[in-house]
Amino acid sequence: MQTPLLERNNLLVNLKELIVRTLRLEDVSPEDIVDAEPLFGEGLGLDSIDALELVVAIEREYQVEIPDAEVGRRAFASVNALGDFILEKSSAQKASDAVG
Amino acid sequence: MRWVETTTTVRFNEVDQWGITWYGHYFAWFELARMKVLEKFSLLPEEFTALGFIAPVVSAQCEFKKPARTNDVITIQTHLLKPQTASLTFRFEILLQNDGSLLAKGETLQVLQRLDGTVIYKLTGTLKDRVESMVQYFWPD
Repeated sequence: MQTPLLERNNLLVNLKELIVRTLRLEDVSPEDIVDAEPLFGEGLGLDSIDALELVVAIEREYQVEIPDAEVGRRAFASVNALGDFILEKSSAQKASDAVG
Repeated sequence: MRWVETTTTVRFNEVDQWGITWYGHYFAWFELARMKVLEKFSLLPEEFTALGFIAPVVSAQCEFKKPARTNDVITIQTHLLKPQTASLTFRFEILLQNDGSLLAKGETLQVLQRLDGTVIYKLTGTLKDRVESMVQYFWPD
């Protein structure tokens, strides 16, 4: 079984691959994406159309919903933030499944 | 895959001093055709607003193949691409009615926002139902 830290690190690596693959980024490789850098605007420079595509890919891959740009502002603040958002929502989902 | 057809006639004020349609008017014809589609599904601008949303165009493109001239009767064919995200992409082809030749083709992309400007990433409620019935119309199983 993986430690939480290792699990989080793997998640961040997978997220970077997902971002590059989903948005078909040609000049960026997953290793180029800095964990703490903003994904939108001045960081990786993604826009609202990219966000729409990422949301679909994240839901398909991790069953975590990002309903609008208000939630997206927090989730897409950086790869770190996105990883934490997914871990937080998945554990909340597991807890509610256990109760339900 | 279905298309919806709209017909209009090129007016004198739509052509430039070279006698051909000024390029910006093609976007107005796209708009005319899109409204005809949106009306069928209760998704006209005021109906969007009543539901608490707007759908601004964030990208538009057009390729001009052959010029339209005053009094030409033109057909605008409109089609909705199958949405992969919470957005609407309409595709248009403008044809000269008397010989069916292609004058222009293009696309518009609309995102969906709440009235406060927040972009929505997932459709819900009545908006979702209406958009789904429009998709179903263009893409019957």
